[in-house]
Amino acid sequence: MSGQEAPKKKVSDMKRLWGMSIDLDKCTGCGACQVACSQENNMPIFEDDSDLPKRVVFLDLMKVTNEMDKGAKFGDVKVAYLPKMCMQCAGNDPDNPYPPCVSVCPVVATDIGDDGVVSQIWSRCIGCRYCQASCPYEARVFHWWKPVYEGSFKEGLNPDVSVSSRGAVVKCTFCSHIWKRERDRMIAKGITDINAVQYTPSCVSSCPTGAMKFGDLKDPRSPVYEEKLRRDPRAVRLVHSIDELRDTNPAEYDRRMKIKQFPNPKVWYLTGSEWLRKKLSVFEKS
Amino acid sequence: MKNFIELLRNEWNSYSKNTQIALYVLFGLSALFVIFAIQILFWGLGYTDMNNNFAMGLWIIGDLGLVALGGGAFFTGFLLYILRVDKLNPLINSTVLLGFMCYLFTFILLVFDIGQPLRAWFGYAYPNWGPGLLPISMLTEVVWCLTLYFCVLCVELIPIPLKHKIMDNIPFFRYFGHYLHKLMWIMAAVGTFLSFFHQGSLGGGMWGVLYGKPVWFRPHYFFLAIVAATAGGTAFMMLIPKIAGKIMKKEVAPKETFMTLARISGVMFVFYLIFRLYDLYSLTVKYVPLADRSYADILGGYYGWWVVIAELLLCLVPIVVFNVAKLREREKYYMAGLIAGVSAISMSKVEAVLHGFSVPNFPWKGFTVYNPTIQEWFIFLGSLAIMTLVYMWFARYLPLFPHLHKGGHGDNKAHT
Ligand code: SF4
Ligand code: SF4
Repeated sequence: MSGQEAPKKKVSDMKRLWGMSIDLDKCTGCGACQVACSQENNMPIFEDDSDLPKRVVFLDLMKVTNEMDKGAKFGDVKVAYLPKMCMQCAGNDPDNPYPPCVSVCPVVATDIGDDGVVSQIWSRCIGCRYCQASCPYEARVFHWWKPVYEGSFKEGLNPDVSVSSRGAVVKCTFCSHIWKRERDRMIAKGITDINAVQYTPSCVSSCPTGAMKFGDLKDPRSPVYEEKLRRDPRAVRLVHSIDELRDTNPAEYDRRMKIKQFPNPKVWYLTGSEWLRKKLSVFEKS
Repeated sequence: MKNFIELLRNEWNSYSKNTQIALYVLFGLSALFVIFAIQILFWGLGYTDMNNNFAMGLWIIGDLGLVALGGGAFFTGFLLYILRVDKLNPLINSTVLLGFMCYLFTFILLVFDIGQPLRAWFGYAYPNWGPGLLPISMLTEVVWCLTLYFCVLCVELIPIPLKHKIMDNIPFFRYFGHYLHKLMWIMAAVGTFLSFFHQGSLGGGMWGVLYGKPVWFRPHYFFLAIVAATAGGTAFMMLIPKIAGKIMKKEVAPKETFMTLARISGVMFVFYLIFRLYDLYSLTVKYVPLADRSYADILGGYYGWWVVIAELLLCLVPIVVFNVAKLREREKYYMAGLIAGVSAISMSKVEAVLHGFSVPNFPWKGFTVYNPTIQEWFIFLGSLAIMTLVYMWFARYLPLFPHLHKGGHGDNKAHT
């Protein structure tokens, strides 16, 4: 030992908190994001890709309709497409600030970084699927088959992303390998302040209508500044109507925000359609 | 070699026709277990046709059930060695064996469920303990507690074969067995301590901490699982020897022993039912609404209310039978109480897993239908078959029931 005292607390220089917003009124459901994501992250292609429940994708393009609702007859049926990836939950319990999936992993194969990205180490994962059970957004998928890359597909593999083996759980990481690559590039230029580095995940850069925006939730200049999103009447987060309480019932909102039961996702959806906003966030109660 | 085959043939012929048929079925199931085990462990879980909609297999229900029922071993050991309920002594060997097998197969089934069985040791090498003594991941805690408790059960099991007549000629083994037996109360205490934690963590804690899932989340689930194990586990520890006694047409333990345990089990079932009712109430009014849902809506689809109602009704049978002396003493009612008790606790595990996975996560999705694949069925049934074979072997060749060998009522017809 050099005799120097190690710093008592890990002090992070990270000021970024990566988040995303997806404007569903602009989304045409073209699927470019899904293809770009699969290509960027070396997703295998299986013989039968119509086997949806077994398919391995990070970004699922979900079809949302009001078909199942009572009274939605021919003519009234509405459809929207929802690009859904890992919501990069922050959790909101001060004693346990973990996303639902992180604290359950028995072997620390998944963790949340101080930049807000929930990681997944494929070579560490034992494939117990406990994290998959805990994720309320069905964002984690299990690799049921040995990945096969036919013919020239192998040549298109991204060298920045490892190829996951069968039997592990995989998920979106906001393409954090791109961010690391950008950091390296900046360092090569002599810029060592990691907060100076910005990046764009593959799905966002591939979106032809500009429906997806990515950036730092804490930065007022960012297109996804959280305070602004919270106040946006078009903004909604999946499966919880808690954000609506902020204006209508602030006391209840504060109470709920202090309890553990809210995953607090960092992906926001934007839409002006009332039916869609309701559909995304509210379960019909009997 | 010839002699050996002759010996086996004689042995086989000494069984009754019914036993032979049962053995054929059990061997068949065990063989299928081995075939599918090789398939899953060598070629991966993809071949099971399981999918991301219902990611955990039938064996997880088996796992939870086995641990809860095997939990009767820790509770009976605790009653006998720590609380000194000596009347339970004639059943303790069978209890230890059942506990041992339940935990062994819990392990085996857990290995089948992970996608990377060769990385199973990561649970020991990179445990998610976090900074304090309390583990962060309940599954980490399960792995460690199960391992340690399994070691305790091994120590508790060894004296049984050492008591066999053959061992009389080797004094070392006799003394060894004897001293191990003296250590039993320490083992029982350690076992109770360890078992307490993993009963809670595998049976309830693992699910109760999933705060994003309204169907599972509740902080008291850990303790509910412990109470379930003390109630259902004791019923299971009576049911199996009872069935063994019926097959062997012998009284494997004095009636008093069964009645003592039945009384305890009856009281534990009362606690369980009260706790479970509170659990349902708190889910309805407190925990599920936190997730913007209603409990009534969660219990839809194929595994709706009927699973919960069946569990509660089944619970009532042991409560009534075991707590009323007149009913308890009647063989038929007593057996009904045992079967209903074991089924009630198994049903509660079915409820946890089926509801947990079938409830839709998004408002635009319906309930998931669960259809276990052939591999899941045979791994599960094969495990039960192997356990039955081992138990039968112990019952026939080893002093599993000391009461029989003491010349007590061994040759009497069982149960009048
Ligand atoms: S969406 Fe699911 S996988 Fe992603 S951070 Fe949240 S709980 Fe974890
Ligand atoms: S499947 Fe992998 S990442 Fe998920 S909890 Fe298990 S070991 Fe951790």
